Amino acid sequence: MKDIEHIEELLNSYIDNELDERGNNEVKRLIDNDKTVQQLFESLSRCKTLLGSLKISAAPEGFSDIVAMNLERSMLLADMGTYQNKKGRRRLILRKFFTAAAMIALMAVLSYVVFDVFVPNSSRQKFADNVLHRKQKPQVIYEKPFANVQPAEDKQLSVKKFPLIPLVARLTLVTSNPVEADWLVGKALMSTTLFDKTTVVDRKTGIVRYVLNCDRSSIVDLVAELNIIWPKCHDATLEIGTEQQGKYITVKNATARQTLDICKADNYNQRIRMANDLAVINEVAGADVLKSYYAQKNTDADFTIPEKPALTSSEAVEQPKSSKFSDPATITITIIAK
Amino acid sequence: MVKFIQEQLKAGGGNITIDEASLVAQAMAGNMSAVQKLILKYQDRIYNTVLKLCGNEADAAELAQDSFVKVIQGLKDFRAQSSFYTWLFRIAVNHTLNFCKKNSRLNFESLHDEIDEQTNRQLKDYLIDKNSPDPSELAAKKEVSGLVMKALEKLDPQQRAVIVLRDIEQMSYTEIAETLKMEIGTVKSRISRGRKNLRDIIEAAIQ
Repeated sequence: MKDIEHIEELLNSYIDNELDERGNNEVKRLIDNDKTVQQLFESLSRCKTLLGSLKISAAPEGFSDIVAMNLERSMLLADMGTYQNKKGRRRLILRKFFTAAAMIALMAVLSYVVFDVFVPNSSRQKFADNVLHRKQKPQVIYEKPFANVQPAEDKQLSVKKFPLIPLVARLTLVTSNPVEADWLVGKALMSTTLFDKTTVVDRKTGIVRYVLNCDRSSIVDLVAELNIIWPKCHDATLEIGTEQQGKYITVKNATARQTLDICKADNYNQRIRMANDLAVINEVAGADVLKSYYAQKNTDADFTIPEKPALTSSEAVEQPKSSKFSDPATITITIIAK
Repeated sequence: MVKFIQEQLKAGGGNITIDEASLVAQAMAGNMSAVQKLILKYQDRIYNTVLKLCGNEADAAELAQDSFVKVIQGLKDFRAQSSFYTWLFRIAVNHTLNFCKKNSRLNFESLHDEIDEQTNRQLKDYLIDKNSPDPSELAAKKEVSGLVMKALEKLDPQQRAVIVLRDIEQMSYTEIAETLKMEIGTVKSRISRGRKNLRDIIEAAIQ
């Protein structure tokens, strides 16, 4: 392969008359003795002749005038000093810089306008949440075990603090046997030593009102004591005070168990959530179902779940006789517990 | 600088001719008439070479003019170590090759459809047969010159440059080496490869 390349180089040099006399003679002898080399030589020289026979193109008219003009122009530009002067160059760079800055500012304004006009509000909020405010945590593919673990003594467990809001509850019991009910309330107050803490006892015809100011554990005891009063009442409404003054959550048809559980709640949030849930459940389930479920069975089952859906069939349901409660009276116990 | 050139001439250095040397010296001294004469002396050769290198008349005119402007502006840096002629060609060829490099587009079009049947046969006969028609007559045909120009365009730019300088501008190997600032060995190998490739391209087109 290298030999062929060398021979071709020699042949080309021979064609171009670039060899010395000795080289010329050698190539001549090679061409005479080798038919392949001869063919190659002829082919190359014909190719060269063909190329050399191409028409020589003359420069277009007025060529030198245009060159002179271009030359003059470039000289003028050089003389102007704009491109040579340091000041001028700096000014040019500054101008370019300000132009670029203006372009960027314009682009930013245009993007904002387009964003404002075309992007819907929901997507904009999402964008703001995701991109501008929340920093996404980088995804950890592999984490060294115990790499960031601090010594045990440095760790501090934070205890979630709930607001200390006092329990304000108003229990309204409707009964047809007010004397016995009142006596039972008084007995319960005495046995839990809450009688001294009763700030108001107001007895009017058909209405007895108690106002208690005590601590929470005493209230739990009181409600437990009051458990026996429920079968004697045909309606009990529990109202739980909220953070907003004067606003109560009303749990209609409240059972003794429900009242006890609400009073037992660990904190304000749990109490309010429980009261809200029970208010809805009792509203949906109806008074009689719950009453029969909690009062008669005295079960420990989850008080929030009724045994069966209330009144799902078209069967006739025996209504309690209203004549039994012909002369109802109300006992209201208002409790404020810290 | 004028003195330097005259000294070089007296010492027999460089390939500068007396006429050319005096023109160059006058041009360097700011004589616009000498500049004009230099342009007129070389404009056709430069234009022709640039045209064969880039293959487009409009580009060739602009590139040749730019080359002359560069040469005249750079006269102050001319040291007369090489001839003005090779220096001028160096600037023009390099400027054109840079332009071709920047504006290179892949040329995949076939040359087969460039010429008609009769011309095709004539060209084939010419490349094979000894008793073929006169090559200048053949090259005068527009289709053939177009085909050869396109074949030139398909060559590697460096090979194209040496082929054009040798076969069209008729420069010697030493002048080509001086113009393109390369070894004579490189010039030889590039001419050899360039001609082989050119022949292959033309033969493939007329098959």
